[in-house]
Amino acid sequence: MKLLVVEDDREAGAYLKRALNQAGHTVDHVADGREGLLLAAAESYDVIVLDRMLPKMDGLAIVRTIRASGVKTPVLLLTALGGIDDRVEGLEAGGDDYLVKPFAIAELMARVNALARRPPPQDAPTALQVADLRLDRLARTVTRGGDRIELQPREFQLLEYLMRHAGRVVTRTMLLESVWDYHFDPKTNIVETHMSRLRAKVDRGRARELIHTVRGAGYCLREDA
Amino acid sequence: MFRSTSLRLAAFYTAAFALSVVVLGAITLLTTRAALKAEFDARLGAEAAALAQEFRTEGLSGVVQAVRERDRTPGALDYGLDAPDGAALAGRLAGSRQGPGWSTLRLSTAHGPESLRVLTTTLPGGYALRIGDDDARNDALEATVLAGFGWAFAGVVVLGILGGLGLSYGVHRRLNAMSGAAEAIINGDFTRRIPLRGSDDELDRLAATLNRMLDRITLLMESLRQVSSDVAHDLRTPLTRLRQRLEASRTAVTPAERTAAITGALEDVDALLDTFAGLLRIAQIEAGARRAAFRPVDLSVLARAVVGDFAPSAEDAGQRLALVASEPLAIDGDPELLTQMLVNLVENALRHAGERARVSVRVEQHGQAAVVAVVDDGPGVPAAERERIFDRFYRLERSRSTPGSGLGLALVAAVARLHGASVTLADAAPGLDVRVAFASFTRRPTLGFPNVADSAPSAPVA
Repeated sequence: MKLLVVEDDREAGAYLKRALNQAGHTVDHVADGREGLLLAAAESYDVIVLDRMLPKMDGLAIVRTIRASGVKTPVLLLTALGGIDDRVEGLEAGGDDYLVKPFAIAELMARVNALARRPPPQDAPTALQVADLRLDRLARTVTRGGDRIELQPREFQLLEYLMRHAGRVVTRTMLLESVWDYHFDPKTNIVETHMSRLRAKVDRGRARELIHTVRGAGYCLREDA
Repeated sequence: MFRSTSLRLAAFYTAAFALSVVVLGAITLLTTRAALKAEFDARLGAEAAALAQEFRTEGLSGVVQAVRERDRTPGALDYGLDAPDGAALAGRLAGSRQGPGWSTLRLSTAHGPESLRVLTTTLPGGYALRIGDDDARNDALEATVLAGFGWAFAGVVVLGILGGLGLSYGVHRRLNAMSGAAEAIINGDFTRRIPLRGSDDELDRLAATLNRMLDRITLLMESLRQVSSDVAHDLRTPLTRLRQRLEASRTAVTPAERTAAITGALEDVDALLDTFAGLLRIAQIEAGARRAAFRPVDLSVLARAVVGDFAPSAEDAGQRLALVASEPLAIDGDPELLTQMLVNLVENALRHAGERARVSVRVEQHGQAAVVAVVDDGPGVPAAERERIFDRFYRLERSRSTPGSGLGLALVAAVARLHGASVTLADAAPGLDVRVAFASFTRRPTLGFPNVADSAPSAPVA
């Protein structure tokens, strides 16, 4: 993928660029908001990673400007501000996701991958299918190989999120934010617990497992092993 | 002088009153003058009519006699009668040759020049009859009126200035006391307060409000000082451990040892960042800016969601988490913070109540209050320490070894304060009973917030 990283801290920016390069992405890194705005408008990127506080031009202003000029590239905002309202502000300005510094590089990778090729909301299909696992969002039913699987509401949401991001890694924090709407970190392993119950219902006794644990990163639902 | 507000106000009122006196005086003077002139003219007109009547009944000689008679009476009007050819026939004003109508005539007398206002009428046969009077009498009356208003004007100005000075002195003295107290506080004496007079007037109420503000600021500063020293003190332990791990990684012999040390160091860093995030969040909540995001939140829906999310983990650990909430109980609040508050209470109970603990979350109405209670059957908290467990970083002696930042309950307290709720701890015999009581609620069911309503299990989770 082709990524634009706008980050004024040279060291942090260089580190991001190196890590994303290693993951096989092409990365343009600029340290200055105005330059970032020019590139974002001129070039075609898969995802823009944008620091919220930049010299010369505020990250939020950049998002607003590129959105106003019709650029729909997904934007991941990075910020040192962990405030509740800061997050809302960032998303309202046109950001697609919000990551609070400091973060693990695996978290950033997972979010960049989740943002790229994200289907526009209006295209969200009523039914999701991965291999022989089928989830009907309207009837709220799940079947695997034709067998009905009974899920608790939270397990259903969890599976729906995994299936919408099929083939991509989702982190524990992404699940907490999107499935639970928890924007804080509970000390209890509720994600793990729900995930293990979901796996028991979806994968136990099946020849092929669909839900995989990605060490040090999170989970991934995919067809192949 | 004019930098005093009260004095400026007094000067303004004095000027306004003085101006009203001037306007009132002018109006009075003008109406008096008009009335006097009308009365004067009417008097002369009536006299002329009387003499014309005399002429018709008694003839010329009668009028001449009447004029001479009246001219001799002291204090009467002045008269004059001219023949059609202008020859003077009788009276002081005879022979002055004015045409018919009103005119002014100047005469020199023994007392000096005299100005007369004269009405000339023509009698049948062309005789001119003049009747006049000294209009200085009107001027004298006007002067009296004018003088009266002049004194009134002077009185108003003097009283206004004296009143203004008195008022401004009183206010000035009290404001001086206030700014004196403020100066003392600026110079570092935070115990100084503004003196009250006990009169309960506006200034006293202002002083009382300012004093309460100062109390609050002092309290906040005190807690800030406390937090800073707590932070410095409490972060020293994990930072020391982090340093040791980094040192160990440098001196590690095998790659496995180094990896272990670095992994441990990363965990330490995450724990430290967690603590910072917790502190920051509490600080944001205490700043109170979130009140703008308040909306109706059904505590029962919220509790059901949290219990549903945590019951599986509790079960896996051999504990039980149950919900007791029968009816909708909505308060005005911030759903995100209320969820975090309840999560912290539940996690706290599960973590400290021990193995096989039974924890219940209750949402119930107590009189006018909506109460969320988290009750466990663990070892509880000694009565002496119950207040302190809501302080940042405070941890019971026996839980020092368990993981945790010591900020969970401080956040609970901060969220409760933001919602005007009270938090009380009671002995559940055995165990701890934490109650958060919200002052007002409605029975009306609300939509909750979507994610929670969506996930509510259909039956109470146990």
